[in-house]
Amino acid sequence: MNPKDQLNKVIDNIEKVIIGKRDIAELSMVAMLSHGHVLLEDVPGVGKTMLVRALAKSVGADFKRIQFTPDLLPSDVVGVSIYNPKDMEFNFRPGPIMGNIILADEINRTSPKTQSSLLEAMEEASVTIDGVTMQIPKPFFVMATQNPIEYEGTYPLPEAQLDRFLLKIKMGYPTSKEEMEVLNRSQLSMPIEDLQSVISLEELLELQREAKNIKVDETIRSYIVDLARQTRNDPYVYLGVSPRGSIALMKSAQAYALLKGRDFVTPDDVQYLAKFVFGHRIMLHSEARYDGISAEEITERILTKTKVPVQRLVGQ
Amino acid sequence: MNSIRKNKAFMAILYILVFLLLAEWLTPVITLTDTGHKTLFLVFIGISLLMAFLQVHWAISAGVKILYIMWFLINVYTESAFFSFEALGFILSDLRINVEALFSQDWAQTTDIFRTVLFFSLLWMAVYLIHYWVSFRLSIFLFYILTVIFIAVLDTFSPYNGDTAIVRIMVVGLMLAGLLHLARWLEGHRINETIERLASFIIPLFLMVAVSTALALYLPKAGPLWPDPVPYITSFSGEGGPGPAAVGRIGYGVDDSELGGSFLGDDTPAFRAEVEDGQYWKVETKDVYTTKGWELSEPGADPVLYSNGDLIETEFEPGAEDESLNAVLEMEQDFPFVLYPYGIESIQMEGEIRYSYSPVDQKIEPLLSGAPYEPDAVEIQFNEPVYSLTGLRETTVDKLAELPPEFDRYKQLPDELPQRVRDLAEEITMNSETVYDKARAVEDYFERNDFEYSLTNIPVPEEDQDYVDQFLFETKRGYCDNFSTSMVVLLRSLDIPARWVKGFNEGLQVDSDNERETEIYEVTNNNAHSWVEAYMPGVGWMLFEPTIGFTGSSEIDFDLDIDSSDPEEQELPERPQQPELEEEEDAAAAASEGSNGPGLWERINEFVSEHKGAVFLGAAASVFLAVLLFLKRQRWLPKVLVPYYRRRNGKQTFEKAYLRLLKQLDLYGIKREDGQTLMSYARYIDSFFGTKEMTRLTASYEQSVYGGRPETVEWRELKESWENLINRTSS
Repeated sequence: MNPKDQLNKVIDNIEKVIIGKRDIAELSMVAMLSHGHVLLEDVPGVGKTMLVRALAKSVGADFKRIQFTPDLLPSDVVGVSIYNPKDMEFNFRPGPIMGNIILADEINRTSPKTQSSLLEAMEEASVTIDGVTMQIPKPFFVMATQNPIEYEGTYPLPEAQLDRFLLKIKMGYPTSKEEMEVLNRSQLSMPIEDLQSVISLEELLELQREAKNIKVDETIRSYIVDLARQTRNDPYVYLGVSPRGSIALMKSAQAYALLKGRDFVTPDDVQYLAKFVFGHRIMLHSEARYDGISAEEITERILTKTKVPVQRLVGQ
Repeated sequence: MNSIRKNKAFMAILYILVFLLLAEWLTPVITLTDTGHKTLFLVFIGISLLMAFLQVHWAISAGVKILYIMWFLINVYTESAFFSFEALGFILSDLRINVEALFSQDWAQTTDIFRTVLFFSLLWMAVYLIHYWVSFRLSIFLFYILTVIFIAVLDTFSPYNGDTAIVRIMVVGLMLAGLLHLARWLEGHRINETIERLASFIIPLFLMVAVSTALALYLPKAGPLWPDPVPYITSFSGEGGPGPAAVGRIGYGVDDSELGGSFLGDDTPAFRAEVEDGQYWKVETKDVYTTKGWELSEPGADPVLYSNGDLIETEFEPGAEDESLNAVLEMEQDFPFVLYPYGIESIQMEGEIRYSYSPVDQKIEPLLSGAPYEPDAVEIQFNEPVYSLTGLRETTVDKLAELPPEFDRYKQLPDELPQRVRDLAEEITMNSETVYDKARAVEDYFERNDFEYSLTNIPVPEEDQDYVDQFLFETKRGYCDNFSTSMVVLLRSLDIPARWVKGFNEGLQVDSDNERETEIYEVTNNNAHSWVEAYMPGVGWMLFEPTIGFTGSSEIDFDLDIDSSDPEEQELPERPQQPELEEEEDAAAAASEGSNGPGLWERINEFVSEHKGAVFLGAAASVFLAVLLFLKRQRWLPKVLVPYYRRRNGKQTFEKAYLRLLKQLDLYGIKREDGQTLMSYARYIDSFFGTKEMTRLTASYEQSVYGGRPETVEWRELKESWENLINRTSS
């Protein structure tokens, strides 16, 4: 079975539960394939948890959920060492972070200290407690949700932390037809309970390796760099996309190409993903907010402005 | 219905322009028929157009129009108030009168009121028609052209003066046509624009029209090519209307004292000549140049009388004895003189005819018992004079001074002759040594200096203007009289005796008689001609033909006995009649140029400077052609590209072909934006053409370029898709 079919099976599986959100499922897969994490920004109740659970079930992964509250402590996330009087030593009790697929719900409700403990674990794929470093099992995929930042009683994530997320996705409400379908399916039982895994964790790890081998032509690389540089020159932007952002765009484009059954990245992949990769990495001046211009619009504008490479570079 | 027609502002502009155009129709009709109430008619047109513009229901619109017409009739023809019983009675009674008149076919009985109603109906129809053209057909061209023709015809044939009207029509019509073209274009491309966006098309259009109109108004204009066509047209109808004298009719005339003015062709036959070769038929010469034309110095000097068959002695020696030729002229007009070829020997006519030869003007007049006689047929023995080249080469300038005083009258020039004419003569003949060479130089001058042969638009010299000076320096345009008179004057200013000859040229060969080896020429009034005779000291009088496009010449005997290496031989200035001789001469000239003549570059330079006009035109034409080809490359390029790429099979072929296709599509008008990916562009192309091929090609191209595997792409399999697409771009 080729990677495209495998991945489509996973996405089809998720779609049984999450109706009309194939693109979100695809993007989640893209993030997972490129060892990234996703920030879901949306109001409660649109199926964020369901998405992550369906994803976890489809790949047969261990699913954990952390509900962030203002009083949550870092140890509640990563775990704690407890003294065992019998053995006369500290035993490590792993926190919920030690799983394959983590849903970090309402991440902006907790204190920066706790936030950063999660984000460190995300970046390093390991936790260090009392001088002992422990690897988090692979695959490791965090899907954090945050309520739109205008809500009261939140700790907005700092820019540096946002950069740790590969993609920022908005789920949005389903259409009325989709919502009817949701009601239909939920009448008797929650369909999530009947979901079976369609690929194994080993197969997922293999797909992750394959995504790394997707060809990114020199022309595409320079296109990505062009796009990133453009964000740094835009008059509305005070902080553009970092080189980490360029890497993120390349990696996610690779995963997306794999998903689409190609072994090379095309400008279409880059253009599609740029909106999700750049959205949370572009910090705007306040003028932009007065003018009603969002980071997504800036990205859109840069995409229409930047020349798509259509010819082989000279000397290739 | 499409959107541009719903754009009220745009349509309003159209209707205003239409109104202006219709007003131009109405004005001359009102003026010429002395109708009056122009404003009220214009209001009617305005109301009709307004209702058409507002798309008022037809019944309401018709009702309003009928009410208006009735109001007009009552208001104009009666004193009574509208909607009064008298008014209604008036209308009804008038209607009855007219209906009766119509039924009894008594057209004269119809009243003015009825005619006014008819006129209104006409306007109604015109408005409806133009409304249909503008808002349904989006095309006004036919109406526009009709308007221009209408005004032009009225301006020409009626007292109506359309000088400003035609300008207004051009402006309004061009704007209207431009806007409608824009509307059609928008519809054709299903583009829906706001009036603000349209303004960026409309304003430049109006500016263009305004600028070109202003330019046309303020730039100097050439005089009319057709000074006044009315006499010309009436001349066809045979009425010979009272047109101005500026335009004459061609033909043989007697009075040459006022030359100039345009001529109209006239192919009334003058005579038929049966002769071995076409001849110039001489009638007479004139010797006194008056700055306006020609007169004869001593009319009525002693003539010499000859009988049938007598050897007539003219100033031209017949050629060799055994080459005597026969010419038979059948006259179709009555001329009281004999038209004779050069080298005439004797004349034969039926009856006891005497021939009076006048040495003053070399005219031969037949006399029947002393009275002038107009012959029906003339038979002439002649022998074309042949001139010895040796003799011509010895016509040195100093011999001119030794000429007897009889020649003085052929050197006459008016005192008022401008100095620049004399200077020009000097300049033309600067490099010529003999009298003959000088005469040839003057003869050739016209052909080389942008003179133009034309019968029309030739001015008559002003009071203080010299006929020759005007032609040589100002107009450079004219017919035989201009050329021949100028040559005579130029020769005379060099003290070379010369005179002005009148007659007919050879005419048109219409038939030939193989048995007698003769050709039959039809000579018409169009062939009336004038040329030049000049005296070569020691040789005699000789014919010269300065008029461009005419071929008369004297026969030259190449009796030179000189070494062929003589460098002067190449400079033979003659234009012999025999073509084979001409070829020889050319060959000799070419040979000498090849050996020690000027280099290729000089020859090119010379050619260019001699044919400036042609070279410039040629260059302009090729530039124009190149620009045209470049602009239209989208049309023809695929026809070149398809066979080119079809045969190629290299590694890079597909990528090149694909990029070429992108360019073609761009030329076709489907532009890919900078930020548009190939695939999304391809989907657009496919949806545009209803194909799937562009997507297929693009997938292969992406694999080749982004995937870095050009070797996996098979050009052979893609060729057909590519050809299909590229051929679509040329349709």
